[in-house]
Amino acid sequence: MTGLATTPSATTTAPQQREPEQGPAARIAERLRVHAAGLPDVDAEKVVAQIEAGLWPGATEAALRERAIEITSATVASEPTYSKLAARLLAEHIADETAGEGVTSFTSSIAASNANGLLADDLVAFVNANAAALDAVIDESADDRFEYFGLRTVYDRYLLRHPEHRTVLERPQYFMLRVACGLSQSVEEAAELYRLLSTLSYLPSSPTLFNSGTRRAQLSSCFLLDSPKDELDSIYERYSQVARLSKYAGGIGIAWSRVRSRGSLIRGTNGHSNGIVPWLRTLDSSVAAVNQGGRRKGAACVYLASWHADIEEFLELRDNTGDNERRTHNLNLANWIPDEFMRRVEDDGQWSLFDPKETPELVDLWGDDFDQAYRAAEAAGKAKKAVSARELYGRMMRTLAQTGNGWMTFSDTANRTSNQTARKQNVIHLSNLCTEILEVTNDSETAVCNLGSVNLSEHTTVAGFDFERLEETVRTAVKFLDRTIDLGFYPTAEAEKANRKWRPIGLGCMGLADVFFKLKLAFDSEEALALSTAIAERIAIVAYETSAKLAAELGAHPNFEETRAHDGVLHIDHYADARLTLGARWDAVRAQIGEHGLRNSLMIAIAPTATIASIAGCAECIEPVVSNVFKRETLSGEFLQVNRHLITELKERGIWSEKVRQAIIVAEGSVQGIAEIPADLQERYRTAWELPQRALIDLAAARTPFIDQAQSLNLFQAAPTIGKLSSMYRYAWKSGLKTTYYLRSRPATRINQTTVSAPAAEKPTELEVIPADIACSLENPESCEACQ
Amino acid sequence: MLLDPGMNLTLRPMKYPDFYEQYKDAIKNTWHVEEVDLASDLTDLNAFTPQEQHLIHRLVAFFATGDTIVANNLVLNLYQHINSPEGRLYLSRQLFEEAVHVQFYLTLLDTYLPDPEERTKAFDAVNNIPSIKRKADFCFKWIDSAFDMQELKTAADRRTFLLNLICFAACIEGLFFYGAFAYVYWLRSRGLLDGLATGTNWVFRDESCHMNFAFSVVDQVRQEEPELFDEQMHREVVAMMEEAVEAELQFAEDLIGDGMPGMTVKDMKSYLEYAADQRLVRLGMPKQWGSENPFPFMALQDVQELTNFFERRATAYQVAVEGKVDLDEEF
Repeated sequence: MTGLATTPSATTTAPQQREPEQGPAARIAERLRVHAAGLPDVDAEKVVAQIEAGLWPGATEAALRERAIEITSATVASEPTYSKLAARLLAEHIADETAGEGVTSFTSSIAASNANGLLADDLVAFVNANAAALDAVIDESADDRFEYFGLRTVYDRYLLRHPEHRTVLERPQYFMLRVACGLSQSVEEAAELYRLLSTLSYLPSSPTLFNSGTRRAQLSSCFLLDSPKDELDSIYERYSQVARLSKYAGGIGIAWSRVRSRGSLIRGTNGHSNGIVPWLRTLDSSVAAVNQGGRRKGAACVYLASWHADIEEFLELRDNTGDNERRTHNLNLANWIPDEFMRRVEDDGQWSLFDPKETPELVDLWGDDFDQAYRAAEAAGKAKKAVSARELYGRMMRTLAQTGNGWMTFSDTANRTSNQTARKQNVIHLSNLCTEILEVTNDSETAVCNLGSVNLSEHTTVAGFDFERLEETVRTAVKFLDRTIDLGFYPTAEAEKANRKWRPIGLGCMGLADVFFKLKLAFDSEEALALSTAIAERIAIVAYETSAKLAAELGAHPNFEETRAHDGVLHIDHYADARLTLGARWDAVRAQIGEHGLRNSLMIAIAPTATIASIAGCAECIEPVVSNVFKRETLSGEFLQVNRHLITELKERGIWSEKVRQAIIVAEGSVQGIAEIPADLQERYRTAWELPQRALIDLAAARTPFIDQAQSLNLFQAAPTIGKLSSMYRYAWKSGLKTTYYLRSRPATRINQTTVSAPAAEKPTELEVIPADIACSLENPESCEACQ
Repeated sequence: MLLDPGMNLTLRPMKYPDFYEQYKDAIKNTWHVEEVDLASDLTDLNAFTPQEQHLIHRLVAFFATGDTIVANNLVLNLYQHINSPEGRLYLSRQLFEEAVHVQFYLTLLDTYLPDPEERTKAFDAVNNIPSIKRKADFCFKWIDSAFDMQELKTAADRRTFLLNLICFAACIEGLFFYGAFAYVYWLRSRGLLDGLATGTNWVFRDESCHMNFAFSVVDQVRQEEPELFDEQMHREVVAMMEEAVEAELQFAEDLIGDGMPGMTVKDMKSYLEYAADQRLVRLGMPKQWGSENPFPFMALQDVQELTNFFERRATAYQVAVEGKVDLDEEF
């Protein structure tokens, strides 16, 4: 079998005009030379020599091309342009593979997919009715925009495959037009969205890319389930919902705060409850068992209110020591934290833990109402036990440091600023798998969100950031995100009910770090903060304008009357110190909303964008880069990635050399302390590990007024201590962040490097010495794909 | 001196704090076999060609006993003669890690080889598979060379011990295991056997530390007794490396045969020579072969990884975290 074609029956057609006596190695050499043409700093002959050196008997042309791709893609750390060469070879491979299934055009790819029962009838009818016009929309040359890893990701997981042969039935551009057609009502619309996709300016989230136009068009990324009620039937009903949602590639957030704690009396049997851990173990197994269409494992995050009496056991669920019977290795964990807890941490006070069976009211309260009810329950002596608030907070920090999990999300901030919580019956009980969605839930309504992200890097030129183009992109994006609400297939009735009522969408962004690199701004500079905030404001205003316009055309979302916007309060109004630069436009949109309402109750959420940023070849969402040279691990292999901006700048200054390259790899992608690299580059190319985390929080806080849901904000500490973490998360809460995401840290030891020169015994290495705390470790943070 | 006979029990003042640091770092990276998910490997194995089947069966047969041999030498030779309580702390920790590796490979074999007879054969590979027997014999020869010494009294004793230490670090952990890991990463580069690769990442990380510890012992002895490292010693190390490369190469010929996509005996030879050169350089000796690394997938092991949590379990987190709640620290 071969790695590229995941099937032995993959057929390749021979390109035309070949001399019959040419062997496969000679043919690949020729193709390499053709593809390398016009690529600066690429040496096709070197690759040819390497292939010839590693020949094995019976090597076919396809296998040798695969080898050529492997060699060129591993060379990107020396010369990033090899990524393009690898991508061109892969594009040729895909073209051969699809041709073997008779696919040579968009319409023939639709025909082939349809013949195999993969597509929705209305999509096929739409394409058939507009065949010639749609074929003309395809821009075959757009494939050349892909870097290798992006194209490889598309090939491995997004292109539709033949059910038996497992060969792909679409080329990348056909896939993008199929996605666009699945959401469109006319050729013009399809072309409008296709242009955004094919230029990698905007990408909808993975479920939409996977499923648009197919028979099961589950297009939503995130599902938020309220806690099961404190009853057996309700708990099992939730498992079933989770399984159905998970099957169709949705990421799950689920609260568990209503379920009674350990030791609570069970009246029916006169026994005592074992608390929430055994239930979560079952959830853990259930999530692991559901394989998302063979594409990935299911994933879920459990939210627990910090007053729940099982909180301490909850925080240990991901430990890899202790009793394995009380561990859940597949679940992610998040803390749902009221302000009262943080205040008591500040005051070094006591914190009471309750059994929700005794205090069921706490789950549905926030703000002053919660504070009063909580204190009343304390006064009534209902607490199961009291702990030092700082001790519990310290445990939360320990869990973050040891597992990256136990995300800190703030329930009062979330509810206070949400558009959905104007009425007391509407309460946000949790965030989602990636902590960027905040929507109300109840027993019969499962919150849903459809996501998409603007590639900010594509909107940046040397002249600066193109706000005009951003506006166009956002207008199109919002229109199509709104459309997905009506077109999507909902795996559960609870999800459909909530989504049609609230019509929330989550428009986010990616590539912010690329914008800073292109414009030569340090991540923690005042200019970067101002630009990042202005971009967030622009995305928000255009989204609100577009949603208001859609409301005028199609009507407001059904329960608009229950929102703060209906009462005249917009998200920005919660932030007196918001950096508004578009005051007049906000006034205008406020007037429009007053007249027609909003089509969508929520619009902005910054998802982690792990996979779609890979496709687009940009940095993830709003994040700094973790390294200037790193690898991505996926189900289909490992892929080397480099910071192209850095290498371009080093080349421009004539600094790029083998010695510098090795120094950066030895330093695990850091440029700090490398003598050859000038100070300004060292400053701008600091990695996430080297930036002050205060700056990440400040950027996020300045952006918050324009994010009506939330943002997936990872924080980084190479060597975390309880002291550093407790200060950092307290600052995040004080700064008004609604949620935070992973705490990334690094292991204490690493694999010895094999391909850079080994340091000789007792001799100082030729390379500049890197401080041990930066160079010491291999790192491997997790990143999220459900939302993207 | 570090190799002086005796049972030093004094941790304070600490003579070799670097050993203690290595011990603490090792603890931070504790992992457990239960964290490795081998389920998807079975699907891959079912689709393997006979040639790939042969390779993976040979490979797991080597893994079945490799770490046990290393653990034995640690107890029988290293622990006895490295006379430093902090050094012995590290070795105790290493022994635990070897046990976890043995458990991992036991689980792996039980999963990969459902037929009990085949399993038994795999664990007996040191006797019945010639290409593995030859490697095992090499190991046993070097275990035995130091086994009879109760104390390292003379310079000759110490050289014998150093050769044993260097053999296990440079040849067995640093070459036999490095060779084996290359097959795993080769398969992984083709999207195969993700579970094995995950466990291997962790084993590889541990083995890297074991090697580093052994080399830091060598460095220390060199500082204390430079006269031990004479021309004779150099010749013996080179001869030992050559023998190890030879042994690993005939293992490669058995595994690879005529070659597979991206994996040929010629490339493997070059890789082994390249790895062996690196060990020599680490020991302050000139390169012997001057070969290049031909495997692009090994270059990937040198850089930070970003794991998508839908796909693989991330491993970056530390087990021991220090400090207490403080709201005014810099971060």
